[in-house]
Amino acid sequence: MRRFLALARSATLEALAEPLSAVLFLVALLTIHLAPVFHYHQFGEPGRLARECGFSALLVFGLVFATAAAVRVIGGEIASGTAAAALARPVPRPLFFCSKIAGVVFAFGIFSVAVAAATLLATYASAEGAHQATCCEEGESSRIWQPGLAAGTCLTLGGFALAAAANRFVRARFCVTACVLLALAQPLALVVATPFGHDGFIATVGALQWRMVPALGLLVSACVVFIVLAGALAVRLKPAPTVALVSAAVISSFVWPVRAILPAIQRYWLVDDLAFGATLAMDEVGLSFLGAVLLTVFWLLAGSVLLQGRELP
Amino acid sequence: MSDSVIEISGLRKTFRDFWFRPVAEAVNGIDLTVERGDVFGLLGPNGSGKSTTIKMILGLLTPTSGTVRLFGLSPRSHAARARLGYLPELSYLHPFLTAKETVLYYAGLSELDGRTAKARADELLEQVGLKEQANRAVGGFSKGMARRVAFASALVSRPELLILDEPTSGLDPIGTREVKELIGRLSADGMTILVTSHQLFDMQDVCSRVAILSHGKVVGGGRVANIVEAAADKRHALEDYFVSRLQSSGAVQRVGSET
Repeated sequence: MRRFLALARSATLEALAEPLSAVLFLVALLTIHLAPVFHYHQFGEPGRLARECGFSALLVFGLVFATAAAVRVIGGEIASGTAAAALARPVPRPLFFCSKIAGVVFAFGIFSVAVAAATLLATYASAEGAHQATCCEEGESSRIWQPGLAAGTCLTLGGFALAAAANRFVRARFCVTACVLLALAQPLALVVATPFGHDGFIATVGALQWRMVPALGLLVSACVVFIVLAGALAVRLKPAPTVALVSAAVISSFVWPVRAILPAIQRYWLVDDLAFGATLAMDEVGLSFLGAVLLTVFWLLAGSVLLQGRELP
Repeated sequence: MSDSVIEISGLRKTFRDFWFRPVAEAVNGIDLTVERGDVFGLLGPNGSGKSTTIKMILGLLTPTSGTVRLFGLSPRSHAARARLGYLPELSYLHPFLTAKETVLYYAGLSELDGRTAKARADELLEQVGLKEQANRAVGGFSKGMARRVAFASALVSRPELLILDEPTSGLDPIGTREVKELIGRLSADGMTILVTSHQLFDMQDVCSRVAILSHGKVVGGGRVANIVEAAADKRHALEDYFVSRLQSSGAVQRVGSET
């Protein structure tokens, strides 16, 4: 267990220590928080733009962040020799692969929780009955809920500034601290802002669109399969072909031979099924989730087998 | 029970390309035995197969033919690898970890419990002169400092066998002397050490036995005490012996010109 924790912890730190990770966290979260500003574009339903922004940020920014991290943690460590230094210890190769991937998935989990909290806040901020904003032309309705918008953006930027201060005064690792503080800022923004409910009433927990959470969870499960795939390919391939193959796999995941071994993204992209207050059929969600778990196990085994046969010169 | 820590017999390694065509014969039939308590020097020019041999001993490379036994076990056996420490040729460290975190990382890989690992990390970082730098990220360290961190990481599990690939590489003369003294202390404590180096003068001081490799073959070797005793110039005995073995094997026509 200590070996697992040591390897997973180093992988999480490696995933978060990259400057690209902090940039992706910041851009993804600000994109979601600023979605309610575009209150003219409702797509027939208040909050829809914010919801779709949240799902898109999770899929696009999340996959870029986690795939790059998996390639760096597995392929980068093999190329740099840190994997050989670790595998010269009593560390079974499957344990090394699974622990490193677990560390990357944990980092992706931090990102996902942050995105989920930000999406809950942003959809609430742009929901029907929100406070009037002052930016609209006369007679036009606006649905920006200002406490939510302010808490989301200010705490996100504040988290980034606090990470810079921690780096300056206590030498904390800037990118790791920034990612963690940005993630912590999101639930905090939710807690800080929701008591100032729409129209001045105290908001209840039930006012948030919790029905999004299973759909977000399902999307996360599909992304995890692609993260493990990236790690498995990185055992044998260089970073550029690995990223190219994973991108091709995501795009063509609905094509027959690919969808047998990877999750077809359409089945896991349920944002449209949430339109107009609809809730998801949980049995279908459960089946898709089970499929993603099985595929994750399959690619973990494949990566372990590939690493087992890999020479480390 | 055999007192051999490492037994190598008929070891060969041929590197192949993507189409399985042979590209290089890095090791070409090596037989070696390292006894318990030895400080064994594996010496040879660049490309002679030293690092490839070490990686086969560590189970990182699979031999094309021949066998390697570590404590009588396969090199891929965890029981065998739990008893060794390894210092790679280049200090492969995670740049984002601090010196202390790096040593604790390797302590975790050796399953040391938290309290023991912390005490051991403090002790080793003090021993290698990095106590004051323990909480600095190793990415900002000089080559010599990184080498010291790697050395501390190799020793964290109190191994019975220590494999050192170019341990003095990147170290200043003071650091080199400290490493030599450390090897001497570890050997006196009963640790078996396998070391590769180009610094023959240093090797003469620390090794009890040596093997000279050239083009993947053992072309000479023996007890350092015997080599020194037989030499006219005692100070450069190992260097003279090394050059003479390479010349007689045809690897070197005259000093400084490899074929």
